[in-house]
Amino acid sequence: MSLQLFLNFALAFVWMFLSSNYTSTGFIIGYLLGIVLLFAMRRFLETRLYIYRVWALVKLTMLFLKELVLANIQVLKVVLKPKLDMQPAFFAYPTVLTKEWEITLLSSLITLTPGTVVVHVSDDAKTLYVHAIDISDVDEAIAAIRNSFEKAILEVSES
Amino acid sequence: MKTNDVIIQFTAKIVFFIIFFFSIHIFMAGHYTPGGGFVGGLLTSSAIVLLVLAYDLNTVRTVLPINYIHLIATGLLLALGTAAFPMFIGKPFFTHFFDYFTLPLIGKTSLHTAMLFDAGVYLVVVGVTMTIIQRIGEDD
Repeated sequence: MSLQLFLNFALAFVWMFLSSNYTSTGFIIGYLLGIVLLFAMRRFLETRLYIYRVWALVKLTMLFLKELVLANIQVLKVVLKPKLDMQPAFFAYPTVLTKEWEITLLSSLITLTPGTVVVHVSDDAKTLYVHAIDISDVDEAIAAIRNSFEKAILEVSES
Repeated sequence: MKTNDVIIQFTAKIVFFIIFFFSIHIFMAGHYTPGGGFVGGLLTSSAIVLLVLAYDLNTVRTVLPINYIHLIATGLLLALGTAAFPMFIGKPFFTHFFDYFTLPLIGKTSLHTAMLFDAGVYLVVVGVTMTIIQRIGEDD
């Protein structure tokens, strides 16, 4: 990933030297041409083309914004309900993520979407303990997190 | 009982850089806009304190092997030297000099010796704050 990024920058500078155009426009043109070249040579690269990972990151951001709006509406419904029949609960969420930044990102995403708060990470970093404001089915909530956030983070991190 | 602090440790590592950059920006902005050596120094030490909170004193001491007493001395010497230098060329104590220079990358900039004095203040503030916190933290 970082090697491909470095190669892309190097290609952009080579383009600037070739066209003796030492401006930001020259750099951007060279960079875009470098992306095209890297895409053409993608079978020689040892890891996935880094553009895919950037795209996965964009998708993760979009997913987060969507979930933020939807979850806020859900919490608003809970708050405005005249009857207090919500069912708060703690549940353990077994995560498959291993790296530090992945666990931190997943915990932040779960915490920032209202209704759920990560209160603790287990000592072997395999389980997140989550508090939910209104939950009827724990397995459903676990499946929802697994299929949205965890999947998107895995897409970003796989090389 | 050692708990897992993965979230605060990872976040502190990233936020440290942001606070440190902001402190340098505040230090540089002190001549024309709010800011200066004192606030910059406090912000820098707050960034280091964040690391101390997320990890512990000994880890941060191995990561940043700075003797803060020496830092105070350096800052005081820098401030005194800036203030005393004009006396050797027949000007009163604390005379400041400034001029415009054309620097690479930045362009025309006004350089002022008050900046050096401010750097001394900055170093003293970082040193004093960190010394106090380290001494209290080591007290068992």
